[in-house]
Amino acid sequence: MVYVKNWEDFEIAAENMYMANPQNCRYTMKYVHSKGHILLKMTDNVKCVQYKAENMPDLKKIEKITSNLVGHMASKE
Amino acid sequence: MVLLDNSNFILRLEKIANDAKKDSSFTITFKRYDGHDRPVPRPGKKPLPKPSTYMCLMRAQSKSKKISTIVSQEDVPTIMAMYSQFMKSKMDGLKRVKKVKSKAKATKA
Repeated sequence: MVYVKNWEDFEIAAENMYMANPQNCRYTMKYVHSKGHILLKMTDNVKCVQYKAENMPDLKKIEKITSNLVGHMASKE
Repeated sequence: MVLLDNSNFILRLEKIANDAKKDSSFTITFKRYDGHDRPVPRPGKKPLPKPSTYMCLMRAQSKSKKISTIVSQEDVPTIMAMYSQFMKSKMDGLKRVKKVKSKAKATKA
C-alpha cells in the first residue's frame, strides 16, 4: 500500500475510516530510530491508509491525531 | 502478552524504546476495546451484551517483547499526557527542519 503524501489527506481519511467502522479499526505507529521515521497506519482489514513522517514538526500533528483517536476509542458511544 | 496498568505500561514502553534505539524498531497499536474476552457468538446464538462504555486497548511490540494496557475513558487525559511526553523524549530521531526554526526566531526578534 502506498503512503499518503499529504498530512491533511491522511488525517481526514484515517478519521473517516475509524468513524465508519470503529469496532474493526486499528491504528498503528512504528518508530524506526536508525532510519529516523515514524510510520502511521490505519486499517479496517479491508482498506488501509499510511503516512510516513520524517520531520520533527510532524510529531506535533501525530500527537494531536493520536489523542483524538484515543478519545474516540475510549468513549460511551 | 503482558497486560499492565497504564503507568507501568509507559515505563516498560520507555525501556523497549531504549532497547530498540540502536538497530531495531517498535510499534504501538491503538484499538477500541469493548471489554469482551471471548469470540463473537455464531449467528442464531445470543449475541454478547453491548457494553455501556468502550475502552482503548494499547499494545506495544518490539522483536518478541509484547506489552499491552487498557485505557478507560477517565484515564485518557493522564495517559495521553504521559504518552506525548514519551513521544517527545524517545521519538527524537526525526529530521529537524531548519527553515521553521529561523522563521520562528525572526518573528520573535
